[in-house]
Amino acid sequence: MKRKQFVKSMMAVGVAVTLFGTMLGCSKNSENPLQSVESGGSNETNNSVDTNKTYKIGIGQFAQHSSLDNCKEGFLQGLASAGIKEGENLIIYYDNANSDTGLTAPIIEKYIAEEVDLICAIATPMAQTAYGSTMDKDIPVIYTAITDPVEAELAKEDGGSVGNITGTSDKLPVEEQLKMIRQVLPEAKTVGILYTTSEVNSISAIEEYKEKASKYGLEIVESAINTSADVAMAAKDLAGKVDCITNLTDNTVVSALPVVLEAAKKENIPVFGSEIEQVKKGCLASVGIDYVELGKKTGEMAAKILTGETVASQLNFEIIADGEFYGNTAVAEQLGIELPKDLLDNAAEVFQTIEK
Amino acid sequence: MIATTIEQGLIYAIMALGVYITYKILDVPDLSVDGTFPLGAALTALYISKGVNPYIVLVLTFLVGAIAGVITGIIHVKLKVRDLLAGIIVMTGLYSINLRIAGRANVAFYNQDTIFTLFPLNKILPEQLVEYERVILLAIIVIILKLLLDLYLKTKSGYLLRATGSNKTLITSLGKDSGLVKIVGLGLANGFASLAGGICAQQQKFFDISMGTGTVVIGLASVIIGISVFKYITFMKHTTSVVIGSILYKACISLAIAKITIKASASDLNLITAILFLIILVITKDKKRRVRQNG
Amino acid sequence: MVELKNIYKYYNTGTVNETCLFNNFNLEVKKEQFISVVGSNGSGKTSMLNIICGSIPLEKGNIIMDGKDITKEREYKRLKNIGRVYQNPAFGTCPDMTILENMSLADNKGKPFNLSFGINKKRIDYYRDCLRFLNLGLEDKMDVKVGVLSGGQRQAMSLVMSTLTPIKFLILDEHTAALDPKTAELIMELTGKIVKEKKLTTIMVTHNLRYAVEYGNRLLMMHQGNIVMDKVGKEKEETQIEHILNMFNEISIECGN
Repeated sequence: MKRKQFVKSMMAVGVAVTLFGTMLGCSKNSENPLQSVESGGSNETNNSVDTNKTYKIGIGQFAQHSSLDNCKEGFLQGLASAGIKEGENLIIYYDNANSDTGLTAPIIEKYIAEEVDLICAIATPMAQTAYGSTMDKDIPVIYTAITDPVEAELAKEDGGSVGNITGTSDKLPVEEQLKMIRQVLPEAKTVGILYTTSEVNSISAIEEYKEKASKYGLEIVESAINTSADVAMAAKDLAGKVDCITNLTDNTVVSALPVVLEAAKKENIPVFGSEIEQVKKGCLASVGIDYVELGKKTGEMAAKILTGETVASQLNFEIIADGEFYGNTAVAEQLGIELPKDLLDNAAEVFQTIEK
Repeated sequence: MIATTIEQGLIYAIMALGVYITYKILDVPDLSVDGTFPLGAALTALYISKGVNPYIVLVLTFLVGAIAGVITGIIHVKLKVRDLLAGIIVMTGLYSINLRIAGRANVAFYNQDTIFTLFPLNKILPEQLVEYERVILLAIIVIILKLLLDLYLKTKSGYLLRATGSNKTLITSLGKDSGLVKIVGLGLANGFASLAGGICAQQQKFFDISMGTGTVVIGLASVIIGISVFKYITFMKHTTSVVIGSILYKACISLAIAKITIKASASDLNLITAILFLIILVITKDKKRRVRQNG
Repeated sequence: MVELKNIYKYYNTGTVNETCLFNNFNLEVKKEQFISVVGSNGSGKTSMLNIICGSIPLEKGNIIMDGKDITKEREYKRLKNIGRVYQNPAFGTCPDMTILENMSLADNKGKPFNLSFGINKKRIDYYRDCLRFLNLGLEDKMDVKVGVLSGGQRQAMSLVMSTLTPIKFLILDEHTAALDPKTAELIMELTGKIVKEKKLTTIMVTHNLRYAVEYGNRLLMMHQGNIVMDKVGKEKEETQIEHILNMFNEISIECGN
């Protein structure tokens, strides 16, 4: 019986090793993987693209999140506009770490093993892992949706690259947002901000808000949370203390947006968003960035690197220079606030309804 | 990719050895590792940025982690708070402490020396092994720690630790305070967890506050997978099983990630991982029926 | 040797179910006395042992051991000088450790549990001799885990382990009650031998009247927190099972049973 059990244990190990082997095998055979074709087909081709070459890109996304999803869509669009299209001359590996920092390393390692031509890292921890893991490899990394690449040690103070890496930043147009708030709510004195202590981007954004608020006669009241379970309590508390709330790109808070809106509604104060999706869902207005646009810009940069036009280390990271105004008239009506006409006239998009 | 899987498996194995002490030997469910793992990482970010020798940092992370574990123990034993809750209290408090230690939620240190860049074997290794240099260094660290733990469990103090988990009454009969033994065990376990977190930060070259989420789950899974896979190989020590269990755990995740390339969508990752664990556990499960027939 | 002075013990203090078990209970145990204690369930036998060991708190009173007041001392500190064998054989040994490891643990009682090696090789032969004394063949199974031994074997080991180091006092808490009659007989014989050989001061609680009569040099019967029979020396030798049974019946009639 002992022997049988021993055999059984060895079998289990065997299975594990075989599974492991399969994994290796499949990474070797992936020259013709069953890829789903996502991008649609315009036929324009860019001359600088070598049509005989097939590019391989790994897209590692840190979390499941609509802004980040938009980034990825924009990235593919940006590549397509340069003639690099999925299903034609592009193979995409796409993985999502589901907010687990332990998963970023194996995802990036997979791309390295697949010998991709470029890694696109969406959000900070993924980009940091990608940079750390490819330091001694010859794979360029392009990142996007990082609020402060300098703080994350991915760029130098002057915007220059720290290595074979560059990308785009979703730095908030803080000043423009404050200006817009002043314009919409001339009476307001205090602006509440909810943020997660674990998100570096939020902390640097809060600092910028605090620094610039006084210029517009506003005072920032911050409320820190640790997990999404804390949002309800913090939002209720904050809504009672301030004249309006403005959002950052804080993933935890944005994911719990309905809870924030609910709390604000009870106090009859407006919530300003940090990007278009939030305005759709019930924020009064926002001067924000369009993540699809941000992704597109990233895709265009990636195309330049892939075609050999330039190298990542020569490219400074980019910011979308101007925020666009987005407003929601349905929300304004509910609150009894009128959005200033000149804002509406120059708006990138105005929504008449609240998306359920 | 295999190298990275083993690297990660080995790093988490150190933490799993800690969980093995609390869960398997002491029979105390300890959740504070979710806080002590990133504690080690935060300390590493702080000291490495300040230019402290990375090997000394390893020692520091172990010591500070052990202190955190001792605090869990004191809350549990002396203040008579239930073990699960004591762990939750320490884990919750450490979140803020970790933020304070590191200064912010994410600190990167790409260009600082780590134990890997300073590894003295770097220069002597033959070229084909250079890819595995980190695996080799980690394997050396894990083997040393495992042997030290094995050795400790054979000392008088270690005997007391083992006996506390299976029979507290006996400890009291021996004129010893079983509470004190628990405190020591929790300290040791969290020292391991913190050390693992520190090495993890040195390997990935950054600290992130969310690193600790789910640590205890990984630890428990590694312990249970390891011990159930090798339960019939009697000459194999539990500590060895736990180390291999951790590598198997990480292999499952790597495999799930690799599989995603072929068919599944990215959101299926965790499901695939879960199914792989189930397969391993079912394969190694001994059917009672058979035992009856043979016996 | 051991003295219980004016002990008061209540259960469920502060609730409607508050019951008084000991109301000014006194007992003096002399050196090298071997006391058998009998009594019905709830008479306070085990509570008395728990009070001596410090396993339960008491309302009032003092416990003196060797002239030292140990009332405030915690259980584990008191047990440095006391050996205790429980009714449940699992309490006296560690099932996950081998016989040798268990013996080494017990042998280290009273010494520091430091980082020195757990097994002292020089002592192994001595452990073997101790186990050979049990006549159960355990001396040849030194590397077997205690968890696989039978209840009787474990209880025999518990007995050896609790008397391996010099102790002032041995407490046997119905230590044969969970065993089959044959094994119980064997354990009882061993107990007699060990107590005699090591000249231990002992309190044994038992439900077996024959053991109470056959073993020991003092016999106590307890009832509702009081000592209703106390026979020492010659008087004890003359006591027969019938005497105890008669006493039992008398008490029961008094209580209206």
